[in-house]
Amino acid sequence: MQPHLKQVQQPMTTTPGTDTHPTASTIMDPNPKVLFSTDKISVGVHYIMKHRYRRLPVVDNDGRFMGVFGVSCLLRLVLPKAVVMAKGLDTAPFVRDSLSDLHRRLQAVEDEPISLCMRDEMVRVCPDTPLIETLLTLYKTRASLPVVDPDTGKLVGVISYFDVGEKVLAAGV
Amino acid sequence: MNPATEVMDVVFGLDPQWYAGTLFVLTYLFIMSDRINRAIVSMTAAGLMVLGGVLTQEAALEGVDFNTIGLLTGMMIIVAITRQSGVFQFLAIWSAKQVNGSPWGILVMLSMVTALLSALLDNVTTVLLIAPVTLLITDSLDVDPYPYLFAEIFAANIGGAATLIGDPPNIMIGTAVGLSFNDFLFNLGPVVAVLLPAMMIPIYLIWGRKLVASSDARQRVMDYNEADAITDKRLLWQSMLVLALVITGFILANDIHQEPATIAMFGAALLLLISSLPRSPGEQSEQLEYIFSKVEWITIFFFVGLFIIVYGVEETGLMELLASKMMEMTGGDPELTTISIIWTSAIASAMVDNIPFVATMIPIIQNMGGMLGGPEELMPLWWALALGSCLGGNGSLVGASANLIVAGFAERAGQPIHFLRFMLIAFPLMLGSIAISTLYIYLRYL
Repeated sequence: MQPHLKQVQQPMTTTPGTDTHPTASTIMDPNPKVLFSTDKISVGVHYIMKHRYRRLPVVDNDGRFMGVFGVSCLLRLVLPKAVVMAKGLDTAPFVRDSLSDLHRRLQAVEDEPISLCMRDEMVRVCPDTPLIETLLTLYKTRASLPVVDPDTGKLVGVISYFDVGEKVLAAGV
Repeated sequence: MNPATEVMDVVFGLDPQWYAGTLFVLTYLFIMSDRINRAIVSMTAAGLMVLGGVLTQEAALEGVDFNTIGLLTGMMIIVAITRQSGVFQFLAIWSAKQVNGSPWGILVMLSMVTALLSALLDNVTTVLLIAPVTLLITDSLDVDPYPYLFAEIFAANIGGAATLIGDPPNIMIGTAVGLSFNDFLFNLGPVVAVLLPAMMIPIYLIWGRKLVASSDARQRVMDYNEADAITDKRLLWQSMLVLALVITGFILANDIHQEPATIAMFGAALLLLISSLPRSPGEQSEQLEYIFSKVEWITIFFFVGLFIIVYGVEETGLMELLASKMMEMTGGDPELTTISIIWTSAIASAMVDNIPFVATMIPIIQNMGGMLGGPEELMPLWWALALGSCLGGNGSLVGASANLIVAGFAERAGQPIHFLRFMLIAFPLMLGSIAISTLYIYLRYL
């Protein structure tokens, strides 16, 4: 099945930071791969596994940022709810589930939309967020950072560690 | 009137009874509305009771029942340490395996474990420990968790009614009247032993007979290795030793002339001491911070504020007035008064938090002592209040804190317990349990 994946082609709505005052928009990838919130979970799982993505942003049909879907969501789907829910079991060393049991849990939800299991309370930055604040957020989040227009809620780009590394190396002294 | 409250120079020259009564009603309304955390409501109202001149600070502190506070805090600390050993998970899984993974058998066993733990710990702690294991087991069995969670709510509230420490209303009644662990066990234990199996009958007829699991699913549960749930054997033995000493202390409280709060707090201190011995000072501080973070401070501060509010109202003579009005309504007949109390408590506790209700009823019943002939004549009323307020919590989802905790788990597991759906079955079942309790009180005490 072909996922409804696309690369967001963003018209630049904000002025990229200058070299002396760089911002999030200076270092972001303005055309990130995204999933749609209406895509089936099976589609998202297949895609992130095939391309080895840790996580991808999820948008609605108007391009508004909805959350992220990635390997941690996949783990949440295959583990018993009682161990991944808030205030659930801290440990479960007594459970002897097999790989088939994990697959059974995934099968039960694979036709549901991604919106059911994506992480929606995500750390994000605005295009105008100053560089250091952006990098500090990236450092604390330890994963790709969505850049979201605060007025429209639309995803305008994504910042990964590699984007930052490339930009820093290219800048020279 | 207490000399400490002689001030009674209420702000703006208001009548103290009106001021305290209005503050009390507003507190109730805010708690019921659930818009502001109940601890904030009670602390604010307690502050206004003192600032308004109804009580001095000295009198306010006098009104706080530190026996209840100490008992609750001590037990919370003991449970917070004990749960780290994994013993509660062990107990739940072991019990589930005793019935060979049968879905109905597991429901019964988990309900029994919930009732037992609820009698020895508090209800909220019990469901916090049992509900996640229940969801794990029902996931493996591939069955609807709703009947299990429903039964556990009932079991927690029924089991909690059996002992002094099982449910906050009992702690409050016990400490206010001077009733011991044994008094509760011998007077309420028998009816709880009847109520628990009795409640299983309708649950079986509604859900139990339809619970089916495949042999593979049952095998998944049987494959659980409960021994692996024990993550710290040393802590397990230490916790069991202290818990046994504390329960023995409660049973012998009268003989050793110690209050329950002293026993619970000393048990907590002892367990903290022996479990901290192998740790470095830095690790001890870290562990202590973790354990203290597990104490439900919201509940503790709610109680402190509530005690001050009720004490303020009591000092104005309003409770005495309410008591005499109630006696007028029942014509001073002990039988009618007792039966009125159990049914009123049950219905009120199904609708509002039973803690403020019981805090209000205690001074009202104490004031009835003179009218009914003395403290001994009040005993059926205390048992009626304890049963009504504990069992009434089963009547609706908001009837007890434990119910809301279970509902929270159910929602996070994608199986929400809706208010009306729950109440449609729970309220009639609660009324049935009150009918049985009324019969018990009538036959035994009236």
